[in-house]
Amino acid sequence: MSRTPKSSYFPEVLKNRFENIFYRFVCPFLLLLFLSGCETNTRMSTLDTKGPIAEVQYELFMITVWVTLFIFVTVGAVYLYAIIKFREKKNDTRPLPTQGHGNPLIEVGLIGASILLLVIIAVPTLQAIWYTHDIPSPVESKLAHWYKGEGLSKAEEDNVLRVRVEGYQWWWAFDYPQLGVTTANEMVIPAGKVVHLELRSKDVIHSFWLPRIAGKVDLIPGRANEMWIQAGDTFDVWKEKNELQGDDASLIAAYNQYLSDEIHDYYYGQCAEYCGDSHARMLFRSTVVSDDEFANWVSEMKQGHEAPGRSGTPNQLSWEEWYRLDAENPEALTGDVNEGLRLFVGRGKCSTCHVVEGNPRALGVAGPNLTKVASRHSIAAGWLNHRGEDGSVDIKQQYDNFFKWIKETDVVKPGNLMWKANGGGIGELEKLLTDDEIDKISQYLQTLK
Amino acid sequence: MSAEAQNHDSHHGMMIDNKKLFMWLFLGSDCMFFGTMISTHLIYRKLYPDSFDPTTLFSLELTSFSTFILLMSSFLMALAVSAMHKGDMKGFRRNTIGVIFFGLIFLGCQVYEFTEFAHKDLTLSSGTFGSTFYMLTGTHGVHVAIGVFWLTCMYFYSFTGKMDPHESAVDVEVAGLYWHFVDIVWIIIFTAIYLIEFV
Amino acid sequence: MSSTTTDIPAPAKTETQEDVLKPQKSNLGLLRPDHKKNFIVDLLTTVDHKKIGIMYGLIAMFFLVVGGIEALIIRAQLAVPENDLISAQRYNQLFTMHGTTMIFLAVMPLNAAFFNFLVPLQIGARDVAFPRINSFSLWTFVAGALVLNFSWLVQAFYELGWFVASDTSVAAGKTDFVPAIGWFGYAPQTSTQFTGIGTDFWIFGLQILGISSLSASMNFVSTIINMRAPGMKMMRLPVFTWMTLIVSLLIIFAFPAITIALGQLMFDRMFGTSFFNVADGGQPILWQHLFWIFGHPEVYILVLPAMGIVSEVLPTFSKKPLFGYSIVVFSGAVIGFLGFAVWSHHMFTTGLGKVATAAFSLLTMAIAVPTGVKIFNWIGTIWGGRVRFAAPMIFSVGFIWMFMMGGFSGIMHSAAPADSQQQDSYFVIAHFHYVAIGGILLASVSAIYFWLPKMIGKMWTGRLNIWVAIITTVGLNVTFFPMHFLGLIGMPRRTHTYLSGFGWETYNMICTIGAFILAFGILLFIVDIVLCVTKGKPAGDDPWDARTLEWATSSPPKFYNFARTPVVAARDALWEHKHGPENRKITYVEEDSHGIHMPSQSWMPLFAALGFIPLGIGAALMQAGVPFMGYITILGIVIIALGVALWALEGPGGYHFHPEEEAT
Repeated sequence: MSRTPKSSYFPEVLKNRFENIFYRFVCPFLLLLFLSGCETNTRMSTLDTKGPIAEVQYELFMITVWVTLFIFVTVGAVYLYAIIKFREKKNDTRPLPTQGHGNPLIEVGLIGASILLLVIIAVPTLQAIWYTHDIPSPVESKLAHWYKGEGLSKAEEDNVLRVRVEGYQWWWAFDYPQLGVTTANEMVIPAGKVVHLELRSKDVIHSFWLPRIAGKVDLIPGRANEMWIQAGDTFDVWKEKNELQGDDASLIAAYNQYLSDEIHDYYYGQCAEYCGDSHARMLFRSTVVSDDEFANWVSEMKQGHEAPGRSGTPNQLSWEEWYRLDAENPEALTGDVNEGLRLFVGRGKCSTCHVVEGNPRALGVAGPNLTKVASRHSIAAGWLNHRGEDGSVDIKQQYDNFFKWIKETDVVKPGNLMWKANGGGIGELEKLLTDDEIDKISQYLQTLK
Repeated sequence: MSAEAQNHDSHHGMMIDNKKLFMWLFLGSDCMFFGTMISTHLIYRKLYPDSFDPTTLFSLELTSFSTFILLMSSFLMALAVSAMHKGDMKGFRRNTIGVIFFGLIFLGCQVYEFTEFAHKDLTLSSGTFGSTFYMLTGTHGVHVAIGVFWLTCMYFYSFTGKMDPHESAVDVEVAGLYWHFVDIVWIIIFTAIYLIEFV
Repeated sequence: MSSTTTDIPAPAKTETQEDVLKPQKSNLGLLRPDHKKNFIVDLLTTVDHKKIGIMYGLIAMFFLVVGGIEALIIRAQLAVPENDLISAQRYNQLFTMHGTTMIFLAVMPLNAAFFNFLVPLQIGARDVAFPRINSFSLWTFVAGALVLNFSWLVQAFYELGWFVASDTSVAAGKTDFVPAIGWFGYAPQTSTQFTGIGTDFWIFGLQILGISSLSASMNFVSTIINMRAPGMKMMRLPVFTWMTLIVSLLIIFAFPAITIALGQLMFDRMFGTSFFNVADGGQPILWQHLFWIFGHPEVYILVLPAMGIVSEVLPTFSKKPLFGYSIVVFSGAVIGFLGFAVWSHHMFTTGLGKVATAAFSLLTMAIAVPTGVKIFNWIGTIWGGRVRFAAPMIFSVGFIWMFMMGGFSGIMHSAAPADSQQQDSYFVIAHFHYVAIGGILLASVSAIYFWLPKMIGKMWTGRLNIWVAIITTVGLNVTFFPMHFLGLIGMPRRTHTYLSGFGWETYNMICTIGAFILAFGILLFIVDIVLCVTKGKPAGDDPWDARTLEWATSSPPKFYNFARTPVVAARDALWEHKHGPENRKITYVEEDSHGIHMPSQSWMPLFAALGFIPLGIGAALMQAGVPFMGYITILGIVIIALGVALWALEGPGGYHFHPEEEAT
């Protein structure tokens, strides 16, 4: 009844050779190829870490890599040996192999060995969980210790810097409650300091991911998550890593040099939880700066913007005066920037959703805060970029980006509220903005430096 | 009806009828259904302890009464199964009609309760309490209604003469399993949703 | 008693049967659709587990191709940065449907195909415990698949301008008619505030598929526990049957969680409840817990059958019993059990708190142990054996390599802090595709190479299988190996496009090329199947010198499986019969004179199952404000209720059959 037909007409020799070639050479080759081609110092690489959290996560990852690689090599070698050694020979006439049913000792031994290997992973895992979850507040990170700028209340002096991260479809608000400053899509933080993030969402679930500084934590509507991040090492850790001791000025200078060479930078982040249509375009940036630059930035943000000047004069007006002139004597306010502002608070309805610090009529909070928007290196939540090679703002590109964003906001970010917001969007204007008008608004926005 | 189960005679099975085994598996699954809903209710209850005070709404007397009725129906169900096993078709009919009657009383109480609550502004869309409460007790009510429908069909079927006391006993037993389960679940619901509020 | 036949196991009934067996009348007075010559009617009403299994298999292959095409469009879109081949919305719909299709419409039914075809044969039964429920499960599955994919048609109508959601409906202004919420459907993305009726199609499609899976699973557990041939003790069951049992139990206990979660979501969308509605105190995180309490066992629901398949193939082609049978079975059970205790490792980034994170981290590591045990035992099976590299073996050997790869990246995920960098990045995609394609798909291909000769009675032709192996393995690795690095250098998943300058371009291009290589491999595999079906030579009953009971009957098996019920004397019954001592030979039960009792075919399971189509489509369209859809929904419920009632009333029927008559 039973017979054994040839399962395949492929010559046995060839087939064995295929097995050999494939598993001995092709697989390792592929592995090498990808390992060697792997660039790790890219913008969002988790392998090129710039802060203690990402570092701990990376080190833990490498432990898992080595342990599993060890298992793979050991088990793989035995497996490879078995499939080569025990393959059927041509015209095999040997009697049936021994019909063994297993060996409890081997099983128990292997189970024990696997558990041991897992313990190697488990211990640092637990340590890392506690390390990344407990928000530290070392002295040098306390606001009073390093923050010399304005706006800090007494009550907050002993706390670390707190940033409220709020996720919206599809942009980010970064609120600094201790300092009374709010920005959007580009978070500014000081180097070498613990920053306490509170993560909330206003609509769907988002996830905060700044790969070189920390792994992700979700922003979930209806609850507040928290995490801590830190760009660069603290002075003590830096000394420890470089086997240095003492507090003298040269050491501090060397530490500051390290921060400015390696840590002060422009970091790339992105929403990592699917959040609807334009999830792919919900990016963000983080600028890591020195303590002084941070304080400067805060004061500039708090100061906000003056209104543009009368036609032909560079002197800026106060807002009251500008609005008075606008109502009584509009001819006094000509020029593209003034026209742009008029559209911004008028027909364009921009101010219904956007704050521009200083402007008493731009108070809407449904959209990103536009204070100092022209100092940022990207708009549309990191999707449209105008950062030059040297880290400056590319003015020409910035103009193009503003223009493109206002003109085609539904194309750049499908489904976004700026286009359709129950009557408040650009796409819902009775007559869409003309290219000329968009040009003026863009020019106005470029003055928000 | 049981012929299908005995079509291809089970050879080495556990000594449990195919249909009964199937019903046990269903009930195991159903445990998870109710478990999930009861957990949802308790989680939200714990999360928002003060959002709603059901003690002003619940009438412990009425619900205790309907609980008692449902328990008694379980007793009658056991009698019906036992009667069927003995081949006592009249006993089966008498007890089954009792179960159906009690089941209907229970459903009536629930309908009354629901209308009362709705009048007092507890609806499906009034916060998490309304959502979890109505979905859970409603699902249980649907279980009871299906049971009543099933037993009613069986009751009328018993008059067609096609119901053989020996072969149909297992069918009645399966329906009985279902009915007892629905009762037990109600005891849990009564404790976890009603009684707990008065502790 | 049985001669080899080259027919497909279509209605192969001889004249003699036809004369002897006239269709009977059911208790309703209608003629039962037994012994019909009409091929279509026979398929629609069949209760034969083998035909049902083959239909499951064909539909699964169809949806494998559909899901594959969706994947190729996704890869084409991602080949270069800032590509605009498809819109963001379409991309989101495609990855949602790709995941949902592959899991629920390709892998699960493919597993169901093997369960159906093999389990009764492996345990020496005539059919499953409830043949009509089996038929109901199949057609309910078809109904669910139709409801889910009907959404594409509605979307097409919208794009053509023939259909919009009404202004008064909850879906007013929404343009997504195909689900665009991911296969995980995280709240509150699924609320009416953010998504249109695509989500409703998804809810009802999944709910219907869940009913199908639940009824099928209860059926399989009853079958395996109750229908075993004499002597087939639990610890003599083939490992594949064991895995079927465990998977069925997992489905029975895991699916209720998603059913309730979907129910709550449906209530939120249709009746304004607030289970996941943040404004009214609902907690979106609850959805994640409920979903993954189902979703993680689901992973094992998908992969345990693959482990069962490999545990059958390796011993056969090593000519040795499975190393550590009881440990392999036990570790399968442990995996199933632990599968319920690790769900939150999908949620390490949701802010569980450190204690919960630590607990789920450790439990996830623990689950690696029973999985590792299986790999050790498979190698132990090969060790000292005599390994024949026939097609099924090549794929099973490949399975172990690729599954190890997927397993190791799984261990990396278990370390929660490391996972917070990998979560929702391409690293995760690499991980689960190594498990899904390298594991489940390779094992399924292995199974098809192994069992198709039994199913259709024809043997494979030519050497194509080697090329299928090379091309799929190369394609798989070229596609998914670079994704590890893509994830590590920061590319998030579910993004329809990406900016250049992040170092992702090269990897993405390689992945896309790999995907097309993989697709070509699958295409070759389908060609090989077609060649086998059209040109294959008779396979004989036992072409592989196999071990279990299904090879002891004819290929393809007769509709009654075994002319006489076998009496099993050992594990690996057929192998012992062929090579073992005298006292372990298979003997047969002497049937009594009335012959074999076969179940009658029936229209009712099909009738009842079809009710799910108007139910699902009607309810979803009702959300878009299409008039009269409420009535269509109710019509669906009425059809189901009527179908079930008539089913109960028609009686099971059945007829007696004497195989000897046919043999003459």
